Amino acid sequence: MTERRRILVCDDEPQILRALKVVLREAGFEPVPAETVEEALDLAAVHPPDAAIVDLVLPDGDGIDILRGLREWSQMPVLVLSAVGDEAAKVRALDAGADDYVTKPFGPRELVARLEAALRRVGEGAGQPAITVGDLEIDVAGHRVTSGGEEIHLTPTEWGLLKTLALNPGRLMTHRALLIEVWGPEYADDNHVLRGQIANLRRKIEPAGGRRYIRTDPGVGYRFTDEP
Amino acid sequence: MPGIRPELRDEPTRAWVGFAAAFGATALATAIVVALRDVAPAVSLGLVYLVGVLAVATWFGRWSGVTAAVLGAAGYNWFLIDPTGRFTVADSKDWYALGIFLVSALAASALADQARSRIRVGELRRQEAALAAATAADLLGEGPISLRLRTAARRVGDAVGVEGARIAEGDVAAPPGMVAIELSGPRGRVGTLLMPHTLPAAVQQRLRLRVAPGLGTLLESALERDRLAAEVVETEALRRSDALKTALLRATSHDLRSPITAIIAAGETLRSPTLPQADREELADVVVGEGTRLDELISKLLDLSRLQAGTAEPRADWCEIGELLHAAVEDVEARDPGGGSFTFAMQRDLPLVRADPAQLERVFANLLENARRFSAGQPVSVRARVVGSRLVVRVVDQGPGIPPAVQRRVFDPFWRGTDHHREGQAHTGSGLGLAIAKGFVEANGGRIALESVPGQGTTVVVELVLSGPAEAAA
Repeated sequence: MTERRRILVCDDEPQILRALKVVLREAGFEPVPAETVEEALDLAAVHPPDAAIVDLVLPDGDGIDILRGLREWSQMPVLVLSAVGDEAAKVRALDAGADDYVTKPFGPRELVARLEAALRRVGEGAGQPAITVGDLEIDVAGHRVTSGGEEIHLTPTEWGLLKTLALNPGRLMTHRALLIEVWGPEYADDNHVLRGQIANLRRKIEPAGGRRYIRTDPGVGYRFTDEP
Repeated sequence: MPGIRPELRDEPTRAWVGFAAAFGATALATAIVVALRDVAPAVSLGLVYLVGVLAVATWFGRWSGVTAAVLGAAGYNWFLIDPTGRFTVADSKDWYALGIFLVSALAASALADQARSRIRVGELRRQEAALAAATAADLLGEGPISLRLRTAARRVGDAVGVEGARIAEGDVAAPPGMVAIELSGPRGRVGTLLMPHTLPAAVQQRLRLRVAPGLGTLLESALERDRLAAEVVETEALRRSDALKTALLRATSHDLRSPITAIIAAGETLRSPTLPQADREELADVVVGEGTRLDELISKLLDLSRLQAGTAEPRADWCEIGELLHAAVEDVEARDPGGGSFTFAMQRDLPLVRADPAQLERVFANLLENARRFSAGQPVSVRARVVGSRLVVRVVDQGPGIPPAVQRRVFDPFWRGTDHHREGQAHTGSGLGLAIAKGFVEANGGRIALESVPGQGTTVVVELVLSGPAEAAA
């Protein structure tokens, strides 16, 4: 067996830290626990982990401080733990470079699944020529989308949106991130444009009445499915 | 206020105008005297000059009057006293006549000037009173205090003919280019009147002495009234939150304690080394299931207390109702995968709605969860369409319906329906879902209502306002 992947875990609640350690060890990772922003950044600098899970509220700052500190030198996946209902904090963390968030209280299965998905995305890189999910085939290089073999005609904006989402399967992309990526920085706040285009895109690619490929995270963003 | 234009400026007439008038009046009197001096005695013609002096003193003030008196005496001497055409006096009696004339003219001038200032002061007082009445209406009127202060300040500025006058609450230092005038009420300093420093010193002084005291008193009562009004609102909120806390304690002591009891019991039992694997798994399910239930209840209590405390400020954004409804379905199904299904009937190209997406999602999740609980396994139907300037979402269940007598109470916190149709399943609702849905809908400017016929199911209708240029999702 190869060396266990190291996961930095930062939470100031000893009970949660304890539970996280057990869950991660059980799932085959090696947890590196920290209780403060400072401790987390120190530990990460000494022996860089493969990924990090950080709580948003910490005694000497917030999870976003850790995120910024890590992002100065590393693109490792970072998952954020947040309270229910605090959409603004989630968006802030994601826009600051977090890969995903998990709402407290979380199930261990969900946490591990999100963590593994994030680690997988790092391994894959973005240079995929084609993506196949369910009936949907996206030929990134050839600018072509087919559903069950039948070609779907997309406008350039819809294509840009689908490509951006599909190249980041399972990753929660904030409204802002999508608008900047597809439309450009000057459109960062034009949420109504995004809503309209997502509705159009769904109408063309989703099975009738369903939400198979593009998932909504209300008030936060969209996520392309990572189920095959 | 039309009809009231207080002119507190009181510009002094320019000196040269007064002196010109004195010369003019004396010239006119002289013309009359010269025309009449062959038919009337010199003494009575002196009165003609006196009239001129009176007129000048009344209109142009004391110094113009004195000028007219001296010029009149000279004219009297030149044209009426022998030898005429010279400033010499032959008869010593004429010295007396000239002296009496000069003294009378000066006295008349002084009297006229006094009457004139009395009228002027009266006019100023009248203007001040009109200004006080107008600013009282401004300050004690409706609307936010900042707006009322601005209106009152503009009125004071208009009264003295300057722009940029401001009234600030409290003791404020004058910014550059402004002078600060203290505004105090009977209980002390309440504000500051800020005027452009170009205002003449005399006008500043008048504002300080005649306008500021009244304005200060008015401002104090306006602020006091606002404070009392805010206190009433606060007291009412406190009273309501007290009532809520009592209800909350009563209702939740049971709901909170039973899952905790189950969790502790299960945890203790899990310690036993001899426990068969099947029992172990069942107990673990109890811990997870009851913990989840506790978490849901606490989230709902938090939502409700935020709504009651008025801190559930919506973060308005453009929402597509379809995606929020689907997100709500996913949410409900994730929490209880075994329940009934949902069918959708959505109008095509529904416009976007401006609201807090996360709050609306919670509204729909609560409504769908509720409808499914009472729907006896039948699918819950969700419809959305535009009616006039509103987007109307209907969640229709096929449950037992709600008797008219209790329909009004279903949106009250902790009110629970009896769910007969899922017997053997202890999980009833928290009694908070509809109260929270109502709170969030109303916080986002919408309306929520219930239509129910016993035996034929229940429909919850949510109406959301389509604001501004309705942006079609298409």
